[in-house]
Amino acid sequence: MNTTTAPKRIKVITGNAAAAIAAKLARPDVVAAYPITPQTEVIEQISTFHASGEMDCELITVEGENSAMNAVMAASLAGGRVFTASSSWGLVFMYDAVLAVAGARAPVVMVNVNRETPGIIAVSSGQQDMISTRDAGWIFLIAEDCQEVLDLVLQAYRLAEDYDIQLPVMVHYDGFFLSYLSEGVDIPEQETVDRFLSVLKDQPKRTVLTPGRKLGVGSHGILGGYMELRHKHVTAMERSKAKFEEIDREFDGIFGRTYGGQVEEYRTDDADMVLVGSGSMCGTIKSVIDDQREKGVRIGLVKIRMYRPFPHQALVAALKGKKAIGVVDRSLAFGFDGGPIYTELKAFETRLDGAQLISFIDGIANTDITKTNVEKMIRMTGDLADGKDVPEVTWVSYPDANTKGEK
Amino acid sequence: MAEKKKGRLTKVLDYLKHDDPFSKGVAFCPGCGLELLLRFIPRVLGNDIVITGTPSCSAPVLLGQNNQSWHTLSYFGTLMTGAAANATGLVRYYRKAGIDNTVVCFNGDGTANDIGFGNLSGAAERNEPFIYICYDNEGYMNTGIQKSGTTPFGATTTTTPYGTVSRGKNLRRMNLGLKMAMNKIPYTATATLSDLDDLARKLLKAKEAKERGFCFLHVFAPCPTGWGADPADTIEICRQAVKTNYFPLWEAENGRIRMTKTVKKPKPVNTYTKLMKKFNHMTEADHVILQDDVDYEYCLLGGLSVLEAECQLPVSVKDQGETS
Repeated sequence: MNTTTAPKRIKVITGNAAAAIAAKLARPDVVAAYPITPQTEVIEQISTFHASGEMDCELITVEGENSAMNAVMAASLAGGRVFTASSSWGLVFMYDAVLAVAGARAPVVMVNVNRETPGIIAVSSGQQDMISTRDAGWIFLIAEDCQEVLDLVLQAYRLAEDYDIQLPVMVHYDGFFLSYLSEGVDIPEQETVDRFLSVLKDQPKRTVLTPGRKLGVGSHGILGGYMELRHKHVTAMERSKAKFEEIDREFDGIFGRTYGGQVEEYRTDDADMVLVGSGSMCGTIKSVIDDQREKGVRIGLVKIRMYRPFPHQALVAALKGKKAIGVVDRSLAFGFDGGPIYTELKAFETRLDGAQLISFIDGIANTDITKTNVEKMIRMTGDLADGKDVPEVTWVSYPDANTKGEK
Repeated sequence: MAEKKKGRLTKVLDYLKHDDPFSKGVAFCPGCGLELLLRFIPRVLGNDIVITGTPSCSAPVLLGQNNQSWHTLSYFGTLMTGAAANATGLVRYYRKAGIDNTVVCFNGDGTANDIGFGNLSGAAERNEPFIYICYDNEGYMNTGIQKSGTTPFGATTTTTPYGTVSRGKNLRRMNLGLKMAMNKIPYTATATLSDLDDLARKLLKAKEAKERGFCFLHVFAPCPTGWGADPADTIEICRQAVKTNYFPLWEAENGRIRMTKTVKKPKPVNTYTKLMKKFNHMTEADHVILQDDVDYEYCLLGGLSVLEAECQLPVSVKDQGETS
């Protein structure tokens, strides 16, 4: 993040509070949500805003996440701006509606506070919930810090509701690490946010379900009709990449902050080696990179901000010609040895002009991705660049995985 | 209806103030109770209603395919799991935007009583301002006649078949209407196709009551295909269901139950069951169990309606008019 103007309204708030404040600033018509750790604070804050009259929306305190997604889907198709928030099991419980929202091209905006999903007591961080829903047809954005949570929610509305896009957007941020982390956040004025979002008002009106209007919503038909809608969906996803870059630039002009669009590059220009990461781990990685740079290690970071659609063009452009790339995943890809982002990036390996890839799995189950861990990753990536024998996959915080054949 | 002589008009025709928005030949089975109900609702409530519905027998007709449609209503086809939540989203946005609306959440018993009961219950708790209509054909007919929570004791379905160790469904049906009335929502009612004036009056009452919150209509809608009945007998089946107290007609305002039709001398339940094949295999002992179930539910209803007459409700419940 580059700050070009001095922030004026800094408050120390959590990532959850940043999400709630962003939702308030976007002035949604309908909010529906159900509590789940670590997202609960988001809807508590929104309920407080609603109770005090600060937030003029219809607040639906539903009896389960499935209803939250169904309610905002319908409200969105009726013409409303909507918001919801969830996490892990909640996201899974609303999954049929998550798919239907995408199918209906309803511009729903939600935050998902990433959490693991192997069983009920594993209340811990990890991006497995995001990975499990990655092919739903939603746009997925990932925030690194509390400021970016706020900024991405605002950008998400511009992206979702854009007449050329009309797709749901999910803003992800790491549960526990960002949800409960308090840090300084520049909270913009309502007027500034209104100005940023006002572009949408000047666009053509999307088709909505209104009483008395002869309109059927929900059918994809069969054969050709179905394929036409799906193909349009796929091309809208692809269009969203350039649109997101455009929105990021415009955001910079209004708020004085830019992140670089689909991916953020940190000290990559002259780097021989690059780590690819996403979410809250990137702060630690940047800090280690600064230390290593002083020692002469030519290392950089590519941070994935847009995960769906997969920003392969931007990634290839940033990574092409590097010697070695370490991909850090906070989740698993069952059936593959490496992490999910690693395996996806691997598909574009031939376009990287010889750059080699290795996979690091870390940060799941609430383990910290510590500076020591990042140093280890950089060391191993350096070994790969030097042509040494390096294992393809390393569970950084679980050495046993790298030595034992477990059952 | 204008061609008929005034003296010959039955009461129900007076309620049919709007056009039938459906084309004449639609893809329902002969004698379908659902079709009669579906055509009836917009003729009474108007063609500006917004209907939401789910995968079911109603879906092929309500949804249409590609750019072709069987009707001219606003329709939102959605998932069985979240039907009432979808209707909630619509009415909440319309309220926020100041758009007058009558949203009819139209589902079968599988959605209402089984897979979508959680969100139906949630909508009732939050007193959401729309009309939920369940057409009860006592099973999953669209997927090929499987049992649901409202399938009665003894009935054969493809998942409760008759066999050497099975005599059809060996569980009692659930009383969906009563469950909903217990939520003290502004309006709950049962209705069926043999008593159309009663149904029409209840639809209009629901339209008025939805200004105060959630309304639920439980409509008995026979399925000749699934039940093994003569398509010509659909209305007779409804009539006998009422006359045997198998499906009593009542309404409840804020949970206070009132019978809208009392049967002076109820007939034994086998006058109803003999009209279809799904009960064919039942022995006399089986019929005693089914009769007992019918009698018990009717007693419960009678008791609750007496209770209402004698019981002084708190003012806040009486005047319940707020929506969350």
